[in-house]
Amino acid sequence: MADIDDAAIERMLRRLAQRIESEKDHLCALDSAVGDGDHGVSMTIGMRGLTRNLDELDSPSAAEAFRAGAEAFADDVGAAIGPILEEVFEAAARTLEEHRDLASTATWAAVFEAIARAAQDTGGARPGDKTLVDAWVPAAAAIRSAADAGADLSAGLAGAAEAAWQGVEETTDLVPRLGRASRLGERARGHPDAGATSASIMIEVMRDELGSPGAAS
Amino acid sequence: MRPWNVVDMKKLINDPFDFVEESLEGFLLAHEDLVKRVGRRAIARIDAPIEGKVGVVIGGGSGHLPAFMGYVGRGGAAAAPIGNIFASPPAKPILEATLAANGGAGVVYSYGNYAGDVMNFDRAAARAKTEHGIDVETVLVTDDVASAPKDQVDRRRGIAGDFFVFKVLAAKAETMADLASVVATTRRANDYTRTVGVGLSACTVPAHGKPTFHLADDELEVGLGVHGEPGIRRSHIEPVDALVDEILGIILADKDYGGSDVAVLVNGLGATPYEELYIMYRRARQVLEGHGVGIRRSYVGEYITSLEMAGASITLMQLDEELHDLLAAPAKCPMFVQMGAARG
Repeated sequence: MADIDDAAIERMLRRLAQRIESEKDHLCALDSAVGDGDHGVSMTIGMRGLTRNLDELDSPSAAEAFRAGAEAFADDVGAAIGPILEEVFEAAARTLEEHRDLASTATWAAVFEAIARAAQDTGGARPGDKTLVDAWVPAAAAIRSAADAGADLSAGLAGAAEAAWQGVEETTDLVPRLGRASRLGERARGHPDAGATSASIMIEVMRDELGSPGAAS
Repeated sequence: MRPWNVVDMKKLINDPFDFVEESLEGFLLAHEDLVKRVGRRAIARIDAPIEGKVGVVIGGGSGHLPAFMGYVGRGGAAAAPIGNIFASPPAKPILEATLAANGGAGVVYSYGNYAGDVMNFDRAAARAKTEHGIDVETVLVTDDVASAPKDQVDRRRGIAGDFFVFKVLAAKAETMADLASVVATTRRANDYTRTVGVGLSACTVPAHGKPTFHLADDELEVGLGVHGEPGIRRSHIEPVDALVDEILGIILADKDYGGSDVAVLVNGLGATPYEELYIMYRRARQVLEGHGVGIRRSYVGEYITSLEMAGASITLMQLDEELHDLLAAPAKCPMFVQMGAARG
């Protein structure tokens, strides 16, 4: 498969920013059923900040590119999702400082595991609490199994995306335990979680941009 | 050319994503004699920091004016970070506000109890301590009776009671009291405060473009949260006296103010006329006097709004002499001006 270089990571993140903005209304609609309806807006503000920060960098490394996202979510967003996404991007950045082989499934398994941990540590959510953790935890498990089985990155990211969307599906029947959404109690049942959905979109963009041969031409 | 769908949203705005910045810009220009910008999303009173004085930082999401930045000024808060609409400010502007408020005697954060706010303010407090050696204490406002049962008071969110708690906090800091006394008095103010609201219609967050929740034309919800969190009871519209009786019944069942002196706040959420607030106040006064509650101070108006949401809330704060005097102390802030009041 094709090499994946630092520039491919930057391209992937820019593509992610566009994709999230195009899903803004959908994410808000999901969040209206479960929370206060601002998830698409918060994510869009963070992603616009990411793009702005990338514009200011000259050929950023993969770690620097993810850190541009951490800084955007730290400075521009607020709410609970700001610090959580800050730590998600920061976890990816730190992992990519150590693991420099960007085409290796094991590198991305380490990234996903660090993100899943960061998402839990920052917001205090555990699997089953109807949050983005319900996408990242199964995705990390899937890509780790793929790495252990010697699968290539394309297969690893495809498995991760599938597991993440399965996780989103399962949030539909859950009742949130944390944050403003928890105030809704039973009213929140029957709708998938917006944070898990945006996490799955992120993983899907990684699959499409990094996983398909030739994507990093 | 319009960047949004005007059918969903009839607002006097430009690009919805510029809403917070442009309104902040106008606010700072209109009140340049009272406040100054101390960060991209943080403001402080013009004379902050004041040496030896406890720094008061209040804050939260935008969309609630006069809260929060309208209460920065003399007799008000020293500084306020400004969040996106209905979203806690990030740690960075909170830290900028903290530095602007810091007069070397410690800083008190006070804000409504929401998960996002707690997360960001706590992160800022940790950085203030480790990076700048500033002692920060936090007093969460938890006045909303409808948001959690009595045995889980700590889970209650903060709504209009913010105003009473912030006012007491700021006035106490003005006396040059030390950090521990400022915190103790502010906690007492919060412990003594209860609010129950009623929502009539939702509001639209500009960058979202659609109402945050839905109530039918003839529906109201008692206890509805200011961001659309569910309340206690949804029903058809009814005469307001019955509604005021119900609201006060819920408050008095939670904390019996009978035999106490209180301050009363009837707060409009943004789209309810002052006339209706006075109709509510009139009934509240009848009920409270009938219950043996002594009303020493009254506030009727828009103190904490939710954009153009319709509805109102009633807040009671029990008063002792100190809380009375602090609440009555003069203030000159961009959106709250009070003369020094005679005792009574």
